[in-house]
Amino acid sequence: MIQCIVTGILLGGLYSMIGIGMSLVFGIMGLTNLAHGDLMILGTYISLVMTRALGCNLIVSVIVSVIVMCVLGFVIQQFLVNKVMDKGEAPALLVTFGLSIFLSNLMLKIFSADNQSINNSLSSKNVVTTNVLSISASYLTSFIIACVIIIGLSLVMQKTNFGRAIRATSDDTMAAELMGVNTKLAYAAAMVICMGITAVAGTLVGSTFVFYPSSGTQYLIIAFGAVVIGGMGSLFGTLIGGIVLGVAQIVGGYVFGSGVQMLIAYIVLLVILALRPNGLFAASAVRK
Amino acid sequence: MKKKMNLIILIAVIAVMFVIIPQAGSPYLLNIITLMCLYMAMSQMWNLLGGYAGMLSLGMQAFIGIGGYSLTILSVNYGVNIYVAIIIGAVICALFGLAVSPAIFKMSGVYFAIGTWIIAEALNIFFSNWKFVGYAQDWSISTVFALSNKQLYYTALIVAVIAVLVVFGLLRTKTGLALMAIRDSASAAETMGVELYKTKLKCYVIACFMMGLIGGAQYMQTAYINPSTGFSINWTIAMTFAVIIGGLGTMEGPIVGSVLYVIIVQIMYNYPGMSNIVLGIIAIVVIMVAPDGIMGTLYKKTGFQILSPRRSIPKH
Repeated sequence: MIQCIVTGILLGGLYSMIGIGMSLVFGIMGLTNLAHGDLMILGTYISLVMTRALGCNLIVSVIVSVIVMCVLGFVIQQFLVNKVMDKGEAPALLVTFGLSIFLSNLMLKIFSADNQSINNSLSSKNVVTTNVLSISASYLTSFIIACVIIIGLSLVMQKTNFGRAIRATSDDTMAAELMGVNTKLAYAAAMVICMGITAVAGTLVGSTFVFYPSSGTQYLIIAFGAVVIGGMGSLFGTLIGGIVLGVAQIVGGYVFGSGVQMLIAYIVLLVILALRPNGLFAASAVRK
Repeated sequence: MKKKMNLIILIAVIAVMFVIIPQAGSPYLLNIITLMCLYMAMSQMWNLLGGYAGMLSLGMQAFIGIGGYSLTILSVNYGVNIYVAIIIGAVICALFGLAVSPAIFKMSGVYFAIGTWIIAEALNIFFSNWKFVGYAQDWSISTVFALSNKQLYYTALIVAVIAVLVVFGLLRTKTGLALMAIRDSASAAETMGVELYKTKLKCYVIACFMMGLIGGAQYMQTAYINPSTGFSINWTIAMTFAVIIGGLGTMEGPIVGSVLYVIIVQIMYNYPGMSNIVLGIIAIVVIMVAPDGIMGTLYKKTGFQILSPRRSIPKH
């Protein structure tokens, strides 16, 4: 049981990292990106191609993946999302839904439906091994990276001019514009950061679990879960949200059998949504 | 007066077409028309929720799956008549919709969209782990093997006609007026005394019931079912696509959209794996270029509309 909770918490770190990008984009431009999961899996495939076909080591692959995804994020924001943002909530949502369909089927076409995983030295190692507890190196790595990114990101948001511009845009777009902030650029910057983090998350997912082109849906729901449990737009809330989901999944799997572990996580998510529709930390919401 | 004549002529033409096609057409053509009818019904219902009631749902596949499984379980395991099984399935869907509504109606906008999606995914996992339905394996619906193409076609046609009539009728009642008020401005509607929750719930339960009916009719045609196709997001992709290109919040939009959807999918049939890629691109382009869809844009440009419940101001 202790094992389950520890694994769940570590897994939660990974989940919150998947969610962080979504939380950021929602907090700043109020957009829910339905293509988030598929974009993450795309980042995973880029890392896979780099390691397997080109023989790069994992660090180099992550860097390449982050760069490609950042550029892609900028393009998507500038040429798709910014164009429909002012037409209301539904068009923006449906554009990302269209993008999600496009991406997942494109990946299916290119990479086929086979299960894949990124080979690395961490996945089979354990950091701690005792009778009651063993901690997998890849889970621990993901958790640490997630914490570092979340703390780093909140520092950037609080302390730098860049962060202030983004927060100002999220508070009041027009006022920010009047103060000389280029809001469309602030949106694009948010999307670029989101995509960069998502590429890292994708690579970690790929080196921890098997994945296939249609995994995007599952991770979209996980990202969404982590974000809404914590309260949309709150960065530390997302970390807590991810951990709640991770623990629910692992403990649920331990009690009811591994086949239904995601079902338990989904039910926990639905119950929390029904009881606290704005998430657990909604009061302190937006930009933290 | 002119509008009425248009309507009568259109209905007459369509009626004649739909009677003649099964007599003259090839089985291939019949099959395509059957699909068009089913998608027409689905997208009409999705539009009722997404276009009028302001509930963008990404989880209507839950009810297609339940409808399909109800048909399978009742007719194969318990020997219930197929049509009775479909209707029972639809009732189960309505009850299920009613049961989950207190939870998902607390969510709005994006939360609602993804909340419904999670329910469908949860059902998918649940059925994949349920021994009674043979886990995730294909289950062939042997009771529908004997049905002829024509029977399948007429079932689909009846379902489509019911779906169109339900929406057509509903929009002309007080609920319909409330719905359109909600579509245009939810807060203004509420201030004027529209009961948001009740109106939305009514639509949602109707849509769930109809989706169950459509799911049953769909699986009469497919003749086998498994959780991952029954609860597949592809159903929602089809509905959403048809409504987007046809025109969100119009009555004709879903009809035009689903005809186009089936045609595009048939054309793309020769290029496996490409159809959803192309559909995704078309949907994005349509939203960016003409967010009102084909019929919405047509109405704005020329004032053309046939089934619309909009009451025209009398000209003097």
